Amino acid sequence: MARLQDTPPRGGIDIRDLSMTYRRGREVTQALSACSLTIPEGGWASLIGASGCGKSTLLRILADIVQPSGGSAMLSGMTPAEARATRGFALVSQQSVLLPWRRMLENVELGLEVARADKAERRKRAEEAIELVGLRGFERAYPHELSGGMRQRAAIARALTLRPRFLLMDEPFGALDELTRASLNFELLRILEETSATLLLVTHSIAEAIILSDVVAVMSPRPGRIVHQLEIGFGHHRTDAMRDDPAFAAYEAELRHALHGDPGVTRQPIRQPAFA
Amino acid sequence: MPSDLSVRAPALPVLRLPGLDALARLLRQVGPAALLFLTILVVWEGVTRAGFVSPLILPAPSDVAATFVAAAPRLFTHLGWTSMAALGGFVLGNTMGFALAVVFVHLRLGRLTALPLAMMAQAVPIVAVAPALLLWLGNGVEPKLFIASFLVFFPMLVNAMRGLSSADDQVAELLHTLSADWKQRLLMVRLPAALPFVFNALRLSACGCFVASVVAEWVASTTGLGYVIVFASSQYRMTEVWCAVLLCTAASLCVYGLVCLAERLAMPWRRERPATA
Ligand SMILES: Nc1ncnc2c1ncn2[C@@H]1O[C@H](COP(=O)(O)OP(=O)(O)OP(=O)(O)O)[C@@H](O)[C@H]1O
Ligand SMILES: [Mg+2]
Repeated sequence: MARLQDTPPRGGIDIRDLSMTYRRGREVTQALSACSLTIPEGGWASLIGASGCGKSTLLRILADIVQPSGGSAMLSGMTPAEARATRGFALVSQQSVLLPWRRMLENVELGLEVARADKAERRKRAEEAIELVGLRGFERAYPHELSGGMRQRAAIARALTLRPRFLLMDEPFGALDELTRASLNFELLRILEETSATLLLVTHSIAEAIILSDVVAVMSPRPGRIVHQLEIGFGHHRTDAMRDDPAFAAYEAELRHALHGDPGVTRQPIRQPAFA
Repeated sequence: MPSDLSVRAPALPVLRLPGLDALARLLRQVGPAALLFLTILVVWEGVTRAGFVSPLILPAPSDVAATFVAAAPRLFTHLGWTSMAALGGFVLGNTMGFALAVVFVHLRLGRLTALPLAMMAQAVPIVAVAPALLLWLGNGVEPKLFIASFLVFFPMLVNAMRGLSSADDQVAELLHTLSADWKQRLLMVRLPAALPFVFNALRLSACGCFVASVVAEWVASTTGLGYVIVFASSQYRMTEVWCAVLLCTAASLCVYGLVCLAERLAMPWRRERPATA
C-alpha cells in the first residue's frame, strides 16, 4: 500500500497555484487563489473549510467541469480533460444527481453503460455496489421513491462501479445518520485499499476527515487556498476504535484550531434564552 | 412500485367486491362530467321541443340522432376521409417537428439559420392561403395532409426543442464527467427528459389535426366531414351538420385519449403522483 511518506509526489493528484475567478456580468467572485495540494498515488486526502470557500470548485476543476483561471491541476500526470477521456476518475457531486426516469439499479449502472461495459459485467458490479451501500431491495425504485440519504448512497454506488483510480467525493455522506455514515466510511476505506484508488474527499465533519485520511487539508475562507495540512498517522488499517485514541482528540483539536483560529474552545458562550 | 417498499396496514375485515370497487372509482372520476353532459342534453332537448329556438338554429338532439342513424354509412365514409388526412398530418407533422428539433438542438448553425425561418412560417395564416394551396396541390388528400401537418409541426418543434434541453445542468455535468458522447446523451438524457414536452405537443395536436383537416375540406373538397358540413348547411339540413360536428369531435377525443394513454405507458416514473384533493 502506498504511504504518504515513501511515495514521490508525482503519480497522484498534483495541484499547483490553482486560481479560479467566476465572472457573471460585472460580478466577479474569486473562489480559489494560489491553491496548492499534492496527494500521492493511493493516498487519502480530505478537504475541510468554511462553506463557500471553494472546495467544490476545486473538485469541479479536477473533474474537468470548469476550467481554472490559472495554475494547473494534474491527475497522474494527465490534465483533467485527459483523465476524463480515459475515465480515470469518478466524481460524487454535492447534490446526488440521479436520472428520474431510471430505476435505482439502472441509475447505478449508468456509468458502466456509458463506458460500454458488457451487460452481465455491468449488472454484476452494480449489484455488488448496491449491496455495499446497503440498498438491496430498492433496485426497482425510482429516485423520487428514495430518501435523500438513499439517493446519496445510490450516487456513491454508481461511482464505485467504475473502479476509478481517483475518487473525488463532495460531501458524499452529508444526508446520512451517524451509524450508516460510520459503516459507509469503513466500507469506503476497504474499497480504496482493495483498488488502491486515490481519494479526495470534501467533508464538513472533522472526525470523518480524520477517519478517512492520510492527510487533512484545511482551506482558508474565500478565496480558498490550503492553509494547513495535517498528516494522520493511523496507517491504512482503521477501525472505529481509533476514535478513542488520544491522538484522535489531538488531531481534532488541531484541525478545529486551524479552521477557526482558536484552540478548540467554542468562541461564543452559549446564549441563555432571553425569556427565561 | 415494488411491494417490499410499502408496509401495508393490516386489512380490516370488510367485504370487498373488486368489480364494484372499480365501478365506484370510475363513477367518481367521470360521474360529474357525465352528469353535466346529460343535463345539457336534457335542457337542449327541452328548449328545442318547446319551440324556443328554430330548429334551423339549433335542432333537437333526438332529431340529430335520428339523422345520424339514417345517414351513418355515408357519414362514416366521410369521417374516414377526414381521419386519413388528420392522422396522416398528425404523424407526418409531429415526426418532422421532432426530427427537426433533434437536429436544431445539436446544430447551432441550423438553429441560427432555419429556426427563425420556421418561426416566421408559423405566423402564416395557413387557412387564408388554403385556396392557393389547393391550386398547387389539387383538391385531393394532399392539401389536407399538408395543412394538418403544417399546423401540427410547430407546436412539436417548439416543445420538443425545449424538452430536449430541459434536463438540468447537474445531469449534463454528470454525463460530461462520465465522458458520454452526444448519442448517449441523446438517448439517456435528452429523449426521456423531452417526453413530457412531446406529449404536451401531441395532446395539443390530437384535436388540431382534425380542425385543420375539416377546414381544408371546407375550402374545396368533395369528401370528408368538412365537405358534409358545407354542403348540408347550404341546403339547411342542420341535423346533418350537427352529426358531422359531433362525429368529428368524437374522433378527435378518441385520438386525444389514445395520446393520454400512451403518455401514461411511456413514462412509468411519473405515474404515482400525490393525489390532489
Ligand atoms: N458557477 C458559479 N458562478 C459564480 N460563482 C460561483 C459558481 N460556483 C461557485 N461560485 C462561487 O464560488 C465560491 C466557492 O463556491 P464552492 O461551491 O466551491 O464552495 P464550497 O467550498 O464547496 O462551499 P460548500 O461547503 O457550501 O459546498 C462561492 O462564493 C460561490 O458563490
Ligand atoms: Mg461545495
